[in-house]
Amino acid sequence: MTLSAYLALSLILFCIGLYGALTKRNTVIVLICIELMLNAVNINFVAFAKYGPHPSVHGHVFALFAIAVAAAEAAVGLAALIAFYRNRKTVRVDEANSLKH
Amino acid sequence: MNLAWVVPLFPLCSFVLLLWFGRKWKQTSAYVGIAATLLSLLAAFGVLVSRLGGATYEANWTWMKIGDATLTVGVSVTALNAWMLVVVALVSWLVHIYSQGYMAGDERFSTFYAYLGLFTFAMLGLVLSPNLLQAYMFWELVGLGSFLLIGFYFYKEEAKAAAKKAFIMTRIGDVGFLIGVLLLFWQTKSFDYDDIFRAVGNGTLSPGMTTLTAILIFIGAIGKSGQFPLHTWLPDAMEGPTPVSALIHAATMVAAGVYLVAALFPLYEASAAAMMTVAVIGGGTAVFAATIGLVQTDIKRVLAYSTISQLGYMMLALGSGSYVAAIFHLTTHAFFKALLFLAAGSVIHAVHTQNIEEMGGLWRRLPWTAPLFLVGALSISGVPLFAGFFSKDEILAAAWTNGSVGLFWLAVAAALLTSFYMFRLFFLVFAGEARHRHDGAVHEAPMSMTAPMVVLGVLSVAAGYIQTPWFGSFLGEWLTDGAYHHEAAPGWIAVVAASVSLAGILLAWLMYGKRTVPRDWLSARAPYGYELLRRHYYMDDLYRSTVVALVSSISRLLGYVDRYLVEGLVQFVTGTVNAIAAAGSRGQNGQAQTYGLVAAAGLAMLVVIFALTGGDWL
Amino acid sequence: MTFLSLLVFSPLLGIGLLAWVRKTETNMIQWIGTAATVPPLLLSLFAFIQSVRGFPLERLDEAHHWVRLADFPFLTDAAYVIRYELGIDGLSLLFIVLTAVLGTLAAVASLLVNEEKKGYFMWLLALEVGMLGVFAAANFIWFFFFLEVTLVAMFLLVGKWGGFERERAAYSYLLYNGFGSALLLVVIAVLVARTGTANFALLGDMLHHPVAEGQLIAPLTSEARHWLLGGLLLAFAFKLPAVPLHRWLIRVHVEAPPPVVMLHAGVLLKIAAYGMIRFGIGLFPDEFRAFAGVIAALGVVNILYGALLALRQHELKHVLAYSSVSHMGVVLVGLGALNEAGIQGAIFQSIAHGLIAALSFLLVGVLADRWGTTDIRRLGGLAASMPVFSGYLLTAALALLGLPGLAGFVGEFTAFLGLFAKKPILAAVGALGLIFAAAYSLKAVLNVTFGRARGSQPPAGQSEPREAVADLRMNEAVPAFILVALIVAVGVYPQLLAGQLAAALETMMNGLGG
Repeated sequence: MTLSAYLALSLILFCIGLYGALTKRNTVIVLICIELMLNAVNINFVAFAKYGPHPSVHGHVFALFAIAVAAAEAAVGLAALIAFYRNRKTVRVDEANSLKH
Repeated sequence: MNLAWVVPLFPLCSFVLLLWFGRKWKQTSAYVGIAATLLSLLAAFGVLVSRLGGATYEANWTWMKIGDATLTVGVSVTALNAWMLVVVALVSWLVHIYSQGYMAGDERFSTFYAYLGLFTFAMLGLVLSPNLLQAYMFWELVGLGSFLLIGFYFYKEEAKAAAKKAFIMTRIGDVGFLIGVLLLFWQTKSFDYDDIFRAVGNGTLSPGMTTLTAILIFIGAIGKSGQFPLHTWLPDAMEGPTPVSALIHAATMVAAGVYLVAALFPLYEASAAAMMTVAVIGGGTAVFAATIGLVQTDIKRVLAYSTISQLGYMMLALGSGSYVAAIFHLTTHAFFKALLFLAAGSVIHAVHTQNIEEMGGLWRRLPWTAPLFLVGALSISGVPLFAGFFSKDEILAAAWTNGSVGLFWLAVAAALLTSFYMFRLFFLVFAGEARHRHDGAVHEAPMSMTAPMVVLGVLSVAAGYIQTPWFGSFLGEWLTDGAYHHEAAPGWIAVVAASVSLAGILLAWLMYGKRTVPRDWLSARAPYGYELLRRHYYMDDLYRSTVVALVSSISRLLGYVDRYLVEGLVQFVTGTVNAIAAAGSRGQNGQAQTYGLVAAAGLAMLVVIFALTGGDWL
Repeated sequence: MTFLSLLVFSPLLGIGLLAWVRKTETNMIQWIGTAATVPPLLLSLFAFIQSVRGFPLERLDEAHHWVRLADFPFLTDAAYVIRYELGIDGLSLLFIVLTAVLGTLAAVASLLVNEEKKGYFMWLLALEVGMLGVFAAANFIWFFFFLEVTLVAMFLLVGKWGGFERERAAYSYLLYNGFGSALLLVVIAVLVARTGTANFALLGDMLHHPVAEGQLIAPLTSEARHWLLGGLLLAFAFKLPAVPLHRWLIRVHVEAPPPVVMLHAGVLLKIAAYGMIRFGIGLFPDEFRAFAGVIAALGVVNILYGALLALRQHELKHVLAYSSVSHMGVVLVGLGALNEAGIQGAIFQSIAHGLIAALSFLLVGVLADRWGTTDIRRLGGLAASMPVFSGYLLTAALALLGLPGLAGFVGEFTAFLGLFAKKPILAAVGALGLIFAAAYSLKAVLNVTFGRARGSQPPAGQSEPREAVADLRMNEAVPAFILVALIVAVGVYPQLLAGQLAAALETMMNGLGG
């Protein structure tokens, strides 16, 4: 019972994150949305670690890993964004298209 | 005798040495060449003498092994090739001596001697070959020697064209030869003459195959000996220095075709069709070339057509089954034709032109050359007591006893034409008044040039007496190891031969000596016929407009195929790949969110598929 | 024993040394680059002499564990083990000697290359490592590895140091050969997956003997074998090249720097012939029989097609390129004959053409260097100003047209001898190529050396042709002389090489069932 509630929460979070990441124009929002998706995953990890068929500490460990990686990613992402802003005077994601064909 | 294999090596040494040091030695090069060929000549005499004692010699060395088969090279001494060795070495030696005077002062004097050495080596090697493989190799090498020497004056466009033509035309024949040889190998499992004759003898070789291979090999002989229809290179080959024409394009190399057929005689004898082919081609060429010789104005070209005609004679003899007559005529022809060419060289040396219309009246000015030329002309015309008479008589007798009357009369006609054009040449060059411009400069050639001519002059008479109806047939017995029996030919043949040759001389005298018959007798009555002869029956034009045109149009067609079809196909493939890539790259719009959307949609699709199928197929 | 490794990898030492030399010291680079090609030369000659004296080449085999591709309990320990294996027999030794000789001569001739010498020599040496490795490899994986090394090195050498259209030529090369390589890789992958080994000898045993069939991890049906052989032959047909896959060769021959073409025409094309013999006949003898007729016919097409096109070219390099196509046809003819004479002829033709092509491209390089053009319409009468050069060029032409006494004849003669036993009419048609060969080689060479003296218009920006009358220099004459000496040696006494081939050929003939 409790497991599916957590999973539902995680699913809602993931979908919000996905929607935001794919539609928002502001790069900061996009980054935040990616964090949302990662956190949805984290919730899954922890939920399964507690209520899953084989409860164990592995899920917690993975969640911690994911948080650390997410932090690093956010730092790198923001740094890249600042560099991009300096260059283009904008943070709009649809203007970051210099890898076009 | 055991040293037979050294005979060709001396000229080879001369070639290598002169190629290496010739530039330093300059005029001294001649002595190297002369000494080397003299050694060869002495060794060849040694071989001949010990062969007279009945000795025989054969040696083989491995050339290459293919599986169990061993291909060999070697030497073997037979009556035929011991005889040829001496003829070749002798003429070559005399030409070496002659060239010292003729080529004096040429910038590439040593190169000339080097090439002569290469040619002599190849010719002697060809003669000594005990098998067809080696014969083929030296066959091509003599062609190389001929090619290099025709193109000796490399800066002349005509020499370039002539050298190329000579090589390619003879190559056409050579390919026929090669095909014949390769076919024979798989029939008999050997290249050796002896094995092949054995296979012919015991019927291993089917009659059809015998005829086919014999004719294929004869194609090689046609090419090398300038027989119709591959003869057109030989007149052009006169672009080479005259001593070369004497050695290669008169006495030795062009006779190689005759030698080859003679060496393979048992193969030919086994096939009546092949014999007939040889006889018809030979007889036809003899008359064909002689008619062209009637109207040429270049002294060397007249002699060249005469050579073709005389070689046709030899082929006719072979085809009529008289191996001895062919070799006999080959020998006498080697001497008198070499003499004629060397004398012609001496004339050219004196007046610096080859056009006989610009000569005349040289009899007094060239006291050595003129009589010697006359001796040669008398000999080739078959005037009794000269060498040519005996050998020609032998051939006529052979043609008669063989039963082919048509060929016999063809040969008689050729004899008439021969004596006519030879004396036309003689009278135009030596008799009458001088028509040349270099009056004061005309002088007799130096000793080095006249001495070899004198030797050849003596031989042009004496060589006939090795095989006569009166003093016995030494050559016949020698070549057939005593089994020779002289076919009783009717006595009138000799009379016909003699009277025909005298008639030709008389006619020439009337037209060009005494001028009772006008010179334009033929050209006035049959201008088209005259033009036909003057342009050598348009053979060159015929080849140019058929074979050459065909090859070059195929070549052009293939060029288009290569450039448009093959390349186009590749362009199509690369173009398709490029188009697909272009389409793909258009989706690459740089919007990270679009990529994400596509990825998410893909994932969603996979999930749906998974849900629908239950994942069993995984 | 590390003899073979030393032989194959010794040019790497040169690359290492070159890395420390400054770009501007071209003399130093030339010396090091040339010196680096000497160890393989000495080692291979040593091996050749030893082998002539009866030393068993198998003793040179090397094998070290390298990698295991898969580890399943149901497999024997040996399965899917790929080892670092080198090994040679008489056949590969001949090609190694050829490579080493041409490698050194090409390095000497590289004096003709003037730009970016450092990078050039590094890639040239890499190319040599690749070529030596291809012939020394004893298993498919390493064979492929070395083959790709040559591909990359060649691509860069053409693309960076080539003529006007170098990039187009380089891509063309990469495209065709890359395609061939990909096909080869598929065949190798299937073979390794099905048999669990990449070693040539083991593969041969597994594929030949019905007893050993059980060792196969998955059975190879006859149909599958036909497909594999077809793929293999097609892959090598790209590299040989066989008509109509030859267009890249024309571009590469024309654009690549002459010393590189010496190696390319001399050795790289022969890898295809080697591959067809070693893998085609060696691994799939029975299936090869089904292809023999097609191969022979293709060979005849190659001969005539190449020769007829060579006849109408005006650019000396084009003539030589098409003559390469024609000469490779003789290799196919020999293979199509599928008897001892034919295979031996194919091998001889490969070696002979390697030497002859190297000689001709060396001379063409000299011509381009002196006159700035190799167009035969713009040259003429060079025998007067460059007699030594002209002599060598004429020798090269004579060798090309298969004059007896020179190496080319042995190959052509033996290959045709083979085909005459099987398909006399086809062979007779192919023999017509000999006439065309005489026509195109003499036409090209005589136009350049004989006739009226003519030079090209001087290249743009120069008032005089570069060193108008300079004949061969020492560094050009010595390689040319060595090549001519080898061509004559092989032509006069082919048993020298045939003796080395006998054992390898016998093995192959046993595979073919007599």
